[in-house]
Amino acid sequence: MNSLIKAIGHIISCKDASRFISRAQDRDLSPFARWRLRMHLKVCDKCRRFEAQILFLRKALRGWRD
Amino acid sequence: MDPTGFATELEKHRRYLLRVAQLQLRDPDLAEDVVQDTLVAALTAQDSFTGKSSVKTWLTGILKHKIVDAIRRKQRQPVFEASFAEETDLDEFDPMFKDNGGWVAPPAEWGDPENALSRQQFFDVMQICLEKLPPNTARVFMMREVMELESDEICKELTITANNLWVILYRARMALRQCLEQNWFAGQGR
Repeated sequence: MNSLIKAIGHIISCKDASRFISRAQDRDLSPFARWRLRMHLKVCDKCRRFEAQILFLRKALRGWRD
Repeated sequence: MDPTGFATELEKHRRYLLRVAQLQLRDPDLAEDVVQDTLVAALTAQDSFTGKSSVKTWLTGILKHKIVDAIRRKQRQPVFEASFAEETDLDEFDPMFKDNGGWVAPPAEWGDPENALSRQQFFDVMQICLEKLPPNTARVFMMREVMELESDEICKELTITANNLWVILYRARMALRQCLEQNWFAGQGR
């Protein structure tokens, strides 16, 4: 099962994932896009880190404003 | 609060409002006018300030409307359209990624970034990073993240497509993330 998830996780690249992660900040991803992103994040710690940092950016901007 | 006291209180926020307006409008004179209009409007509307939010948040709300009005008026001049087009192409070539789609330089470990939020120097660094963004990118990014306008509101105000918007926001986030990593999280001032 693990190797299957790994295989699926590589269907989208980190480049694609970074775009999905950014877009998800502004609008809901389609279920398929969301699924592909989730699969990628399961196997990619770099993009998990990227996602956390993008979420932090939003918080930081609000902190700067307030 | 008496009107004089309130005016004094509002004045304290002028510099902050100017920074926001300048990032949005990139025209110092226009930014000054917009901030002045905002403070005058706020003074006139003193009775409608309930104290439920902070003065800063309330003023930012008024500023947002004034900025959007100014942008709308500016829109009738075709001036910034050409540079907008440059900023809205998402090339196949993206310098942050290899041609197989992997990271050239993967995101670094930031530790506990929340700690940064209690440091004024962090916000100074963020200010600098925001100022490095191309003008229209900064404007759109601030409309989304500071003014908290919805995507479709921004598209409507600036007459850009949803795709244009996502490209701009993506670029802004990538640049900002990298800038903060290089200038804060990668060792300095943690």
